[in-house]
Amino acid sequence: MEDLILTPDMVTATESLGVALRLAEPVVLYHLARETLEASPEATALLKCLSETQAAVRTRQTRGEVTPEDMARLRALQRKVQSNPVIRQYAQTQQAALGYLREVNREISELLGMDFGALAKKPGCC
Amino acid sequence: MSIDTLSHLELSSPAVVSQAAHDFAAVLAATEPFTALEAASERLRQDAAAQHAMQAYQAKQQSLQAVLMLNALSAGEQAELEHFRETFLAEPSVTAYLQAEAGLRTMCQAAADRLSEHVGLNFASACSSGCC
Repeated sequence: MEDLILTPDMVTATESLGVALRLAEPVVLYHLARETLEASPEATALLKCLSETQAAVRTRQTRGEVTPEDMARLRALQRKVQSNPVIRQYAQTQQAALGYLREVNREISELLGMDFGALAKKPGCC
Repeated sequence: MSIDTLSHLELSSPAVVSQAAHDFAAVLAATEPFTALEAASERLRQDAAAQHAMQAYQAKQQSLQAVLMLNALSAGEQAELEHFRETFLAEPSVTAYLQAEAGLRTMCQAAADRLSEHVGLNFASACSSGCC
C-alpha cells in the first residue's frame, strides 16, 4: 500500500534518510538504552508494577474510593521508578532521540517551506 | 547490541544525516502531490471569491468568539456560522486546495511511517506540536 503512495524516488530518499537516522548517535543510544531496559528484570518489574498501580488508582478514582494510602503508594512507586538508573537512562535517551528527530524535521521543513511532521501526523495519534 | 558495540558501529555523521534530509526534501518537493498543493495554494490566494468567502467566515467566527468560547451558540447562530463555513468550503479553489492537501498528507504519512520503522520511534508524533 505504502509503495503505491510513494514514488520510487521517494522510496529511495526515505530509505536513505531512515538508515542515516537509525545510525545517528542519539538514536543508537536510545536503542542501546531500550535493550538494557528490556534486559533488566528489576526495571521491567518496576514499570509493570507502576502501570498496574496507576490503572488500579484510576479505577478507584472513578468510584470515588481512592485513599491517601493509595496515593502515597503510587507516589512512592513513582519515586522508585524515577530513581532507577536503567529507567532514567532510557527516558533521557528517548527524550534526546525525540529532540534530534525534531531538529531533522526542522531542517526538512525549512527546505520545503511547510512543516513535514505536521503534514505527516495522523489524526488522533499521540 | 551492547554499549561496547557503540564504538564498533559506523555511526551516521551529522553531515550524512543532513545530506540525507536535504535529498529527502528535494525529492519530496519535486513530487506531484507537493507541486499540486503549491499550485492549489497559489490559485486559492488569487481567487477573490474564495478570499471573500474566507474573510466572511472568519469575521462571523470572530463576532461569535465569546459565545463560541463558552460553547453557548444558539441554534440560529450555529446555523448562520455553518452557512458561512459551507459557502467557503464550496468554493472550487478551496475544494481543490483541500484535496491537494489531503494528497500530500497521505504521501507524507507513508514516508513518515517508513522513517518510524527505521528509528523505532513515531517520527510524526515526535515532530508535530500541539498534541492532545
